[in-house]
Amino acid sequence: MNSRFYYDLIALAVFCAVIFLGVPALMSYDGFELNTFARYLSLAIVSMALALSWGTAGLLNLGQAATFGMGAYAMAMHLKLKVSDGLPDFMGWNNVEKLPLVWVPFESLSFTLLAGLLVPAAVGGLIAIFMFRARIAGVFVAVITLAFLVAFQLLVIEQQGFTGGQNGLTGLAPLTLAGWTVDTYSVSFYYLVAGCLTVALALGVYISHSKFGLILRAIREDADRTRFFGYNVATYQTVIFCVSAALAGWAGMLYTLVLEFASPTYMGVSFSLAIVIWCAVGGRESVLAAAVGAIIVNLLEGRLSDVFVEGWHMLLGIVFVLVVMFMPRGIYGVIVDVVRRLNEARRGGRQDSAEDALLPATIQTNRER
Amino acid sequence: MEHLQVTDLHVEFGGLRAVDGLSFDVKQGEILCLLGPNGAGKSTTLDLICGKTQPTGGSIRVNGVEVSRLLEFRRARLGIGRKFQVPSVYKELTVVENLSVARSRRPGIWHALTRLSLRPSKDVDNILELVGLTEKSQDLAGNLSHGETQWLEIAMLLAQDSRLILMDEPTAGMTIQETQRTAEIFRSLSGSHTLIVVEHDMSFVRNVADRIIVMNRGTKLAEGSIAEIETNEDVKTAYLGH
Amino acid sequence: MDVVFNQLFAGLSMASILLIIALGLAIIYGTMGVINLAHGEFVMLGAYATWALQSFAGLGVLAALPLVFAAVAAVGWVIEKLMVQRLYHRPLDTILATWGIGIILQQAVRLSVGAESRFVKGPELLSGNTEIGALVMSNYRLFVIAFSIFVLVGSWMLMTRTEFGTKLRAVIQNRGISECYGIESKRIYSITFAYGAGLAGIAGALITPLFSTIPTMGTGLVVDAFLVVIVGGLGSLIGAASASVLIGEATALLSAVMNDTLGRIAVLAGIIILIRFRPRGLFPSDTRN
Repeated sequence: MNSRFYYDLIALAVFCAVIFLGVPALMSYDGFELNTFARYLSLAIVSMALALSWGTAGLLNLGQAATFGMGAYAMAMHLKLKVSDGLPDFMGWNNVEKLPLVWVPFESLSFTLLAGLLVPAAVGGLIAIFMFRARIAGVFVAVITLAFLVAFQLLVIEQQGFTGGQNGLTGLAPLTLAGWTVDTYSVSFYYLVAGCLTVALALGVYISHSKFGLILRAIREDADRTRFFGYNVATYQTVIFCVSAALAGWAGMLYTLVLEFASPTYMGVSFSLAIVIWCAVGGRESVLAAAVGAIIVNLLEGRLSDVFVEGWHMLLGIVFVLVVMFMPRGIYGVIVDVVRRLNEARRGGRQDSAEDALLPATIQTNRER
Repeated sequence: MEHLQVTDLHVEFGGLRAVDGLSFDVKQGEILCLLGPNGAGKSTTLDLICGKTQPTGGSIRVNGVEVSRLLEFRRARLGIGRKFQVPSVYKELTVVENLSVARSRRPGIWHALTRLSLRPSKDVDNILELVGLTEKSQDLAGNLSHGETQWLEIAMLLAQDSRLILMDEPTAGMTIQETQRTAEIFRSLSGSHTLIVVEHDMSFVRNVADRIIVMNRGTKLAEGSIAEIETNEDVKTAYLGH
Repeated sequence: MDVVFNQLFAGLSMASILLIIALGLAIIYGTMGVINLAHGEFVMLGAYATWALQSFAGLGVLAALPLVFAAVAAVGWVIEKLMVQRLYHRPLDTILATWGIGIILQQAVRLSVGAESRFVKGPELLSGNTEIGALVMSNYRLFVIAFSIFVLVGSWMLMTRTEFGTKLRAVIQNRGISECYGIESKRIYSITFAYGAGLAGIAGALITPLFSTIPTMGTGLVVDAFLVVIVGGLGSLIGAASASVLIGEATALLSAVMNDTLGRIAVLAGIIILIRFRPRGLFPSDTRN
């Protein structure tokens, strides 16, 4: 077995131990505190989803919030129908007399769960096919996804009768999952979210270490070269975009459950930027690091925004700029460098530095100017 | 039997006819060297065969299949491999990872999704041994020397196992010993693989070529064995400009 | 028919503002390949500087223009020196870093001036309207249109008719060789970035009488200006000019046909499709691949 895969598995196990055992114990199984932490964990999923497309394949998707929002709204539509007697209240206020056809199937939970994954995946896939067939890359991917995000948010706000407009979807029923009514302030709900994150991370770690992940890294570096080895680059890029979008949708569904409402701000440019920040701070090359980045930044935001009420965003901006400039590989990059140095020092003592067995693939931090 | 048949190939770049009515055949297992002064259209010819450039006219057949309108990856799947003039390896991947990408007999998504990236493989070990990169298998390709990078790209083509390999100046930047080693490898490939080599180093060409085509201004100037080419008056004129 | 003409004028007015913002972005991108997402915040700084000059020094918008240009250009120069200069070899990261700078500038203004809307009076001189038949054109908007053409021509002259412009184009074509001939590319870059920022500041000053000035005003503008640059062809001044007219007019006309939001959505969708089929824009420049 390859050593890097092995290290990632250990790191994943440690991470799981922390979120399943450590965190609940630290918060003395307090439902309110754990609800806040469940929010961070659901955001960790969307951050690791971005790491898959951005870190692995080099596709900077600035529209990740759009697919996140789709998942969030899918769940909110289901829960809204559960409290409504046929017609959700806001539709009445907007003179919508009959339940719109798109809303009808959301009565069913299984449909909702599927839609929350597949609708973002399908939309992400369409955008991806559209872009990658034409071999759009780099900056243009960022621009097209950003333009899509802006257009999509405008559309959601505009279609007030279908979406609740600027107010979003509020006053939702609690989720009933196979007879269990989910109390979002309970320890079991926290475990549900933690379980989802674990599954998403396991999937992400597997993808990163599969041949698929390797081909994506090759495409990130030189897409043309990869075509000459017979790989259909557009298909690879499209598939990772779909997977990333589906995971973002999943995160969105959980986020609606945690906050008990869905708002168009989930699809805002600033939320999308926030996702990019978490991912960059943690380290975009590793899904686990991206997830940890989301948790750390949000945890700090939760703690520090009480202290520096207004200054928090300023501080976040400064930290982000510093990370981009001096730690382009995020916290992950720092750890990898430290481990490598330690190894070199140790092996240097034994005079056999021929092979860099531990953590072999370290990408050069400072590429030649 | 003909492995590659190029017929009346044309390409224009903004009025410049880089390749102008070129026709030639390459037999199965043959090593063909393309010579010619700078700007003769040698690299462009390789680009046209592997799909980097689209021809404006003419036909390219590989084992009888017309490929001139196919996308690059489809041509690669038909067994066309390409080494570029500027060594194109993945600098941020390790040497073994580079080879693992190059091993693309099954380039589909599903296959890639159901395999771990680095399974130990006898083939890869053998190829590393052959080009002398075994020691450096875990190094980043970006940290290799220029000669080693050339070797790595050749190794990647071996791993890709294309039957028709297009080499653009494979020995550029190599030492004399390295060049000789490359010639040996090429000779051992002939028979099972078909090679088209663009090269300036005449001693290398003498060593490996079964047949030579000299190009000038996008057309074929002369064709034949090394002895025939060396005595050809047209070739002398093209090179010396008399 | 009157509606159409008035809408066309509104579109042209919008295009003129987009143009001044986009010119700065286009020049910065064309020269150093940096996508400056803090550009919207430079516009916002320009607007606040104008507001401050009017409220505290009693200067009018027109009198403030040169001061605002200098002030925002200075901010741009400092940011280029401190940050952008270190990221030239990492183009995707410049997007992120300048975005971060945008947040910092936005929050700095929010913390120091406050989040509430500020208003700036337009110049007395240009307060009236010019009417041709049923077409009513505000004099101030006419002035902005004329001024944007002046900025376009001025920038073009600067790039093509001055020694600085020659050096700039030399650096764009081949940085290494230019340095061998004694052109300090770093200095050229700093000046260019500062100039682009200054243009954004001017745009900010000019829009103060038309829009309310708030800390978040730059966010929407930068997305639009950025699309203008891409549609026009990265780095092309003529492209930026035609794309601003195209996008300004399309938005104005579609908004009249549908409504403001749907018009904007339609324009965004159109732009996405245009980028897909002409990724190098309407007027691709040959200098940078």
